[in-house]
Amino acid sequence: MKPMTLTLKGHQAQRVDVAPLTPDLLQGKSRSEIARIPLHAGNRNIPTGDLFAIDGADTSDLHLRGDCRTLNNIGAGMGGGSITVHGSAGHRLGAAMRGGQVSVHGDAGDWVGTGMHGGRIEIRGHAGNWVGAGFPGDTYGMNGGTILISGSAGERIGDRMRRGSIIIKGDTGAYCGTRMLAGTILVLGTTGEFAGLGMKRGTLILGRRPKQIVATFNASGTLKMQFLRILFRQWMRTYPNLTELRKRGPLCEYFSGDLTTGGKGELMILRNAYL
Amino acid sequence: MKINGVEIEDSFAEAFPMKATRLVITAMTHKWAYRAANSLTGFASSVIGCGCEAAIETEIDLHHTPDGRPGISVLIFAMSTKALADQVLKRVGQSVMTTATAACYSGLHTEDRIPLGKSLRFFGDGYQISKLIGGIRYWRIPVMHGEFMCEESTGVTKAVGGGNFLVYAKSTRHGLAACEKALKAMKKVAGAVAPFPGGIVGSGSKVGSKYKFLTASTNHLYCPTLRARLPDTALPPEVGSVLEIVIDGLDEAAVREAMRVGILATCAFGPKRGIYRIGAGNYGGKLGPYHFHLRKIVK
Repeated sequence: MKPMTLTLKGHQAQRVDVAPLTPDLLQGKSRSEIARIPLHAGNRNIPTGDLFAIDGADTSDLHLRGDCRTLNNIGAGMGGGSITVHGSAGHRLGAAMRGGQVSVHGDAGDWVGTGMHGGRIEIRGHAGNWVGAGFPGDTYGMNGGTILISGSAGERIGDRMRRGSIIIKGDTGAYCGTRMLAGTILVLGTTGEFAGLGMKRGTLILGRRPKQIVATFNASGTLKMQFLRILFRQWMRTYPNLTELRKRGPLCEYFSGDLTTGGKGELMILRNAYL
Repeated sequence: MKINGVEIEDSFAEAFPMKATRLVITAMTHKWAYRAANSLTGFASSVIGCGCEAAIETEIDLHHTPDGRPGISVLIFAMSTKALADQVLKRVGQSVMTTATAACYSGLHTEDRIPLGKSLRFFGDGYQISKLIGGIRYWRIPVMHGEFMCEESTGVTKAVGGGNFLVYAKSTRHGLAACEKALKAMKKVAGAVAPFPGGIVGSGSKVGSKYKFLTASTNHLYCPTLRARLPDTALPPEVGSVLEIVIDGLDEAAVREAMRVGILATCAFGPKRGIYRIGAGNYGGKLGPYHFHLRKIVK
């Protein structure tokens, strides 16, 4: 069966909530039924068919084409199947998703994977702020699943995240991994100020030494962290193009913190290739 | 029936159901992985007195272990899941966790699980950390050499214990030479191990004893020093020693295959090199439901 392709008919000035367009929710629906699904844009409801040209029938393999930067909530809440965005995506990509895979061949906006419970998000370009972080009103951020960003990301990455993994091949802005409750963040590039500030537990792995380590982190020295071998091997199995990890770990500078919030978090700065 | 002049008795080995798990032990080098595995499988020859039967199954190269370090797989057998859980916890805790650089993972991926890191983590005294990687939970327990890595649980499967064959030899020296060759051949069979020291039983037992407090005692009919005193001795005049190889396996097929290759390797020695007969230990079919008929196996 041919994958279902939704192609934006033109530039959409106002942001549109496309949360109803997930493989789970579209399952068993005909193209005409899908065309009638209302999508929120401000205080209006726009039928899907007015925004998109719909082609193909396999709703478990959705493809979005066109300028999708104004489409919010792509893949939000989805539990299975796959969505591929051929271009850039808007905010809250994969928010609260439970399973399946979302791939973006361009950039993504803010709040990628906020409230996420499972599944995989892969962004080939850059991402905005608050990746995997808790949305205002939420107690915590992502609670499972994996986010891979091939480019860089903004600020407050993984703020209050509870479980799951965020892998960023590029750089991040300030406040990366702040207030983490658990989970794992890897940043291979540079990080901004205050990485790990207020983290309670969880693991923040950095490919490069930040200019400053938060004052409330204490060094334990250079150590071999064997679990990095398992973690990196698993990530490389999941993402074969994550070849950078072949040369990293398990040797790292190890810090515990944030000591003001219990000090059970760990900040690791990867040393030379060892695997 | 004879193979290379060695008589194959018309008999059968009688085996019984057990519960088993496979553990993968890794360390900085194979040498240290062996030290952990040897310690874990020590004093694990027979469930009668050791609580479990365990032995090293095979070496695993670093490309096939969870953490990319050299590894050893061991099989552990016990009479129940509860007994197995108890033995695994004690042995991993005392033998693997205490070995420098060692880590312990499950080598059996079944639905039925027993705790591994789930219980051992408490050694971390609150400083332990868990990581869910690829759907598997691992425990990182801080220890004096760094961290002890341990998988949350290990799989349990139904298994077969007590497969065996007896080697009737001219002398113990002749018997040992043949048995060592047999064990080398049996090493290639996955899922089967010989849990006794060196894989060979020098003092095979029978069920029961004249002493009521004993559940097993020497298999007197096979003792060469008692031949003159026992009119019903099982030993022909030319036999000066009987050795036994006991085999536990993850399934019937593994035990059967290990017995087959072991018997054939033993028979290759022939009477000229002091091997006269192959027999098997059984209890008239009363002990266990698995019967491995020697002649059918080597056919």
